[in-house]
Amino acid sequence: MKARTEGANASAYAYVQPAPGRAEIAALVALAARRVAPLWPLQSAIAVNPLSGFEEMAFDQAVARAAAIFGARDSLSIETWRNLVRAQQIDIAALKKVAIARLGGLVPAFAPIGPDVSRLDLLMARLMDLPPPDQPATAGGADPGAALIAKWCAVFFDQGQAACAMPGRDLGLYRAVVALIGHDRDYRRLAGDVGQRVVHCVPRDPLDAIAEGVEALKIPSDEIEETLAALVARLPGWAGHIRWRSEYAEPSDSAGAPAGMADLLALWILLERAGIMAPPPALWPAACDPRQLAMHFGLGQSQCASQWGAIEAIATVRQSELAHMFMVAAEQGFRDTLIPALTAASRSGATQQAPDAQLVFCIDVRSEPFRRALEAQGAFETFGYAGFFGLPIARHRHDRGRRQRLLPVLLAPQHDIAETPVPGYDVDALVRSEALHQHTRGLLGTAKHGLGSAFATAEALGLVAGGIMAARTLAPRLMQRVMQAINPDIEQAMAPALDTHALHPDFPAFTLAEKIGYASLLFRMTGMSKQTARLVVLTGHGGAAVNNPYAAALDCGACGGHPGGFNARVMAAILNDPAVREGLADEGLSLPATTLFLAAEHNTTTDQVTVFDIDQVPLSHKGDLAALRTAFDRAGQANRTQRAIALGRDADDLITGSCHWGEVRPEWGLARNAAFVVGPRWLTRARDLGGRAFLHSYDWTTDPDGTTLAMILTAPMVVAQWINCQYLFSTIDNHRYGSGDKTTQNPVGRIGVVQGNGGDLRIGLPRQSLFSDDGSPYHIPQRLLTVVHAPFDRVEAVVTAHDILSRLFGNGWVQLVAIDSATGDARRWAADAECAPNPPACQENRP
Amino acid sequence: MTDAAFADLVLHQLKKIEVIVRAEDQRMIEDLLHSAGMGGWTVIRDVAGYGHDGFHQGRTIFNDQTGLVMFVGVAEPGPIAEVARGLARFFKSRPGVTFLSDVAVMRSEYFAAARSAP
Repeated sequence: MKARTEGANASAYAYVQPAPGRAEIAALVALAARRVAPLWPLQSAIAVNPLSGFEEMAFDQAVARAAAIFGARDSLSIETWRNLVRAQQIDIAALKKVAIARLGGLVPAFAPIGPDVSRLDLLMARLMDLPPPDQPATAGGADPGAALIAKWCAVFFDQGQAACAMPGRDLGLYRAVVALIGHDRDYRRLAGDVGQRVVHCVPRDPLDAIAEGVEALKIPSDEIEETLAALVARLPGWAGHIRWRSEYAEPSDSAGAPAGMADLLALWILLERAGIMAPPPALWPAACDPRQLAMHFGLGQSQCASQWGAIEAIATVRQSELAHMFMVAAEQGFRDTLIPALTAASRSGATQQAPDAQLVFCIDVRSEPFRRALEAQGAFETFGYAGFFGLPIARHRHDRGRRQRLLPVLLAPQHDIAETPVPGYDVDALVRSEALHQHTRGLLGTAKHGLGSAFATAEALGLVAGGIMAARTLAPRLMQRVMQAINPDIEQAMAPALDTHALHPDFPAFTLAEKIGYASLLFRMTGMSKQTARLVVLTGHGGAAVNNPYAAALDCGACGGHPGGFNARVMAAILNDPAVREGLADEGLSLPATTLFLAAEHNTTTDQVTVFDIDQVPLSHKGDLAALRTAFDRAGQANRTQRAIALGRDADDLITGSCHWGEVRPEWGLARNAAFVVGPRWLTRARDLGGRAFLHSYDWTTDPDGTTLAMILTAPMVVAQWINCQYLFSTIDNHRYGSGDKTTQNPVGRIGVVQGNGGDLRIGLPRQSLFSDDGSPYHIPQRLLTVVHAPFDRVEAVVTAHDILSRLFGNGWVQLVAIDSATGDARRWAADAECAPNPPACQENRP
Repeated sequence: MTDAAFADLVLHQLKKIEVIVRAEDQRMIEDLLHSAGMGGWTVIRDVAGYGHDGFHQGRTIFNDQTGLVMFVGVAEPGPIAEVARGLARFFKSRPGVTFLSDVAVMRSEYFAAARSAP
């Protein structure tokens, strides 16, 4: 932002423009707010695309624009990309293909520049050999204004971590801060007398303050939106937190402390008026010197005078474009390996034997290797479905005041589910034990953080705490068993209560028609046939980590960043309901009477599977369950061994890491995610996808009008795209789009983390989730490849009918390949929104 | 209203605004209506239609943010004009349409402005 402070010469301006009204300012604020993505608090961490506000633009334009606004990198450094090529993570042949396409095809690419030197040689030299210009890690220097506002945000939004709450929070963020900031030493130092004068005279309503500030700072009418958006982008973490509070949080989350984006912007305007300026943007490197490029091949300017224009053209290709070419090469190399395997499988068709058991897993990429390991253990048929099993529910835990939203953030809860004791458990004793544990923890926490009691607590309990710390460090698994003995797990003792609405006890949580609808939807969405096996296990998932602010990021995103076992239990109860079975039969889904539905939860950190409500399994199915549990154990061991290799550890250490408080990387999470496959399992079953693909089961023959496909692409695929973009951008700039090194983070206000002792709330993923210990990226930043097994015309009809799909595919945020179910041919969705033939289109460089 | 059929009714002349936007923009329009002092409005979710970009499907059941939503608000000319000015800004960068019209209501107090607290 330009210097526009108001001060001694403020009266000199004679700027005349119509003053924007409140609604105009509100519209501008709302538009500016979209520049940042909402940021969920840590206890329900949800992956979002940090550039979601730029999805109206083509991908490469959006990345460049966002890089300028956020002061971020637009790609990995050239040297890092080169190392990925040298490590064979990216195929050099794929990179050459991209380079040839960039030069206009084979003929111009191989046109000679000098003796034995072609244009392609020049471009490949720039890609792989010539030293790139130095590139700053991030733009800009220290931003004292951002630090000041971040400090006040941390104070205002605190959720009870601070021993002393900020006064006046009920006035709202802007008014509460304006009432106090004049006494802030940092503000006085930065703003001086002008700052004091401004803080006394600014309007106390944020919209009025922005309107007045826009006039006082002489911001031209057509620049207001961009100016406000740039201010929002200076603190994407706190601005994202405000978006979450405004758009996704429960009303109780913001009760007593209202804050909207207008509050934040009014504070920024206040600082601008007080003369606290933004740092200058960094200068980005230009392209290389043409003479250097020519000299790399021993060519002087005189030797290739006629070709000097061509050399200059290649020498002036920007670094960001070179980096983009590496990413496209990674995408094309992956696509050219995956698609032929799937088209071959499509032509071969299904070869499924009657299964002993069927299992429905979440689409999460971590399910794929476990499913493969399980399928290797016997006649098990597996399906992929969104891990909330289609249930828009919220859970009211017996021991928590706030409900948990167990559904994708794209939806609002429709059913509030309470819990009820499972017969056979002494629930009262468990509840008392847990309450005592919670109370003791709360008491200790208060004593530790209390201003007067902190030192006394350390004196009194220091030795005990030291002993516990030593035990947790040296024998974490033993310590975990001790803690489990003291605090028994109440999860198995409480079951979802479907007959009672949590908020309206006179009504059921679901009507019978709703239950039948959700049950039927599972079959429709996954293509599961009504000839079900004796056991059908709905398998949610969750991670396991201790002392880890990002633990929720390892849980199920489709369940709002929570483990998926509860949803699985609700769905299993619905499907075992005799009245639901009758209703399904009336719809033509007459399930075998011998089919029993069970719920389970896959621990993605340890690869152990918990089966719920085992006591309710009838004798007739005990044998089936025993065989399945044996298969779970074997599959878990096999998958753990494979995953341990990628983590550079042994399999047993993964279990230790799940309960070790010093473990910074309990698992790789969804790193290396690259594809979203919509089709039957037999399409992918023969191929090891390496945990890189979201798998959503789908049978186009049961979806004549494309309704199911539309649901899959507009919801689960959108969530997968958010995840993909979060990993992509967190990797290319872990400082601006990610949250940096875990070891130097501190939780703040029970809502997020900051680096060190202050600054912006960090967005994105930590470095340890993306990079190996040697600093090389484990996650390869590439855009999601969506593959749909269905007739071309049906895919096209669905995409063109939904804005969100046209935007994501048309603007290059996601690549789409359709595999025609009749012929096995593949076509890629081209940028001009036409289905182009394969393979030529697959070799075409785009966007 | 001069129609004789309404002669026995006490009617009040107000302005009506209808706004159709993407469902993902619903919150933005709500903020705008609040700030203009609108006392209330109706939201019709899951709207479909045909326009410059072809047919717009309604909401899909797994994503509340797909499809279109429609707002209908009635108020004195002042707040409606304020909303329209805000929408003029909004439509510079976001898709959508709005309609303004005269309308007669029976209970004028029902549509009183509720200026948001400064």
